[in-house]
Amino acid sequence: MDEEENLKTGTVGLKLKSESDVPDLTARVHLLPCFVKYDGPCAVSDYFKPKVTGVEVDGLKVEEAYFRGRKLEGATFPLPQGYCGLVLGKKIPQKRKTSDMTESWNSDCWELDAKFQSITYWNHDSLPSQHDTFLRSLHWLSVAEALHKPVTSEQLSGSSIHVEAAAARK
Amino acid sequence: MGSEPTLPKWASKPCIMGIDEAGRGPVLGPMVYGCLYCACSYAETLSTLNFADSKTLKEEKREELFENLKADESIGWAVDVIDPRELSAKMLKKIKVNLNEISHESAIGLVNRVLNMGVLLTEVYLDTVGDAEKYRVKLSERFPSIKFVVSKKADSLYPVVSGASIVAKVTRDRALREWVHDETAEGMKRNFGSGYPGDPETKAWLEQHKHTVFGFPSLVRFSWGTCNSHFKDMVEVLWEPEKIDEDGSGSGKRQLKLSSLGISTSKRKIEEIESSGKGRCKFFQSRKLEQLAHF
Repeated sequence: MDEEENLKTGTVGLKLKSESDVPDLTARVHLLPCFVKYDGPCAVSDYFKPKVTGVEVDGLKVEEAYFRGRKLEGATFPLPQGYCGLVLGKKIPQKRKTSDMTESWNSDCWELDAKFQSITYWNHDSLPSQHDTFLRSLHWLSVAEALHKPVTSEQLSGSSIHVEAAAARK
Repeated sequence: MGSEPTLPKWASKPCIMGIDEAGRGPVLGPMVYGCLYCACSYAETLSTLNFADSKTLKEEKREELFENLKADESIGWAVDVIDPRELSAKMLKKIKVNLNEISHESAIGLVNRVLNMGVLLTEVYLDTVGDAEKYRVKLSERFPSIKFVVSKKADSLYPVVSGASIVAKVTRDRALREWVHDETAEGMKRNFGSGYPGDPETKAWLEQHKHTVFGFPSLVRFSWGTCNSHFKDMVEVLWEPEKIDEDGSGSGKRQLKLSSLGISTSKRKIEEIESSGKGRCKFFQSRKLEQLAHF
């Protein structure tokens, strides 16, 4: 892959509703270790019954649940401060003209359906730990912050001294 | 669950024990392993108590015999109730545990439990599970001081095993009768019949209680072949492949992308279906992060 392709960016249009209209799904968002080929409403809380085990690993409180006969072990992780989880959806366009439909489907305009402040992620056959990809993927947040934080003039002058010192040693 | 924890005097004399199972075949409910033990000197009396293979007895008769043996101070008993959730979960683990292994472990657990109570077991009788001789050797290696007799139809040949089969069968029947569904969906019924796949009542119950996403209530053993025909009408669920790459390099493992599974609305090239992580910085690769410009 060449450099140019690496730098591609995308934009997402987001239609915001007033905060109070958006349901809060905190503690009800589950990330399963499988792919369920279904997209739509479902009586999750009637069938999916997570239970607290009392076991703790790496500071994570282990929960257990069963899905399709498999035993899942997981943990609830609050999203870091300053971040919020969003459920986005596209409104299904009403049947009018075919041209209208394709246009609205391909548009990058999303609507905010719900928000959440925690995710419960589940493993099949392994206890949750800090080595899990889901938790590790969140490392990016602190790296991104360090990368994108505005650099103060003091930091700048400080680093230039280092560069000079390094050059002088040579 | 079992007889009184206080050790009777006869337990320090050589004892015999029978082990038998109930509910191995059914597609739903727990599998129960039961054991019954007594002093060798009491074995003769045991054969006069009319224990017979539990399957040949009527339910009321079994209940009556169970109450009798519980009241008999010369007899001890214990059960291991294996929840259907546990059966499914073990048989559907990434490294699967088959039903024979689960059965062996349950029987071994019962022998351990009785020994730990302080009962001097010298002879244990059980029905075959898999190959009789291999099973006998496995048990003898674990418990060298005990003589094991593994035999077909042990439940009708040895009264001590017949007694164990009554303990197991009555316990399973009660567990089913008192079963409380974990699921809180509406219309959850308990008319599941015997649980045997061929029982019309069980068939009808399975049909009425299937759920397109969740499959079945957790009373059902998802690992049973009977369930497979039902899964065809349900939402497909894909799990991580059971075996990782042959070369064993975990990092080279291809990741299945959600977009290839119909989650994304944007069209993508076929070669993009699987992501190898190639060309991405190691930091992102190992965290399964990818830059996304369309979603």
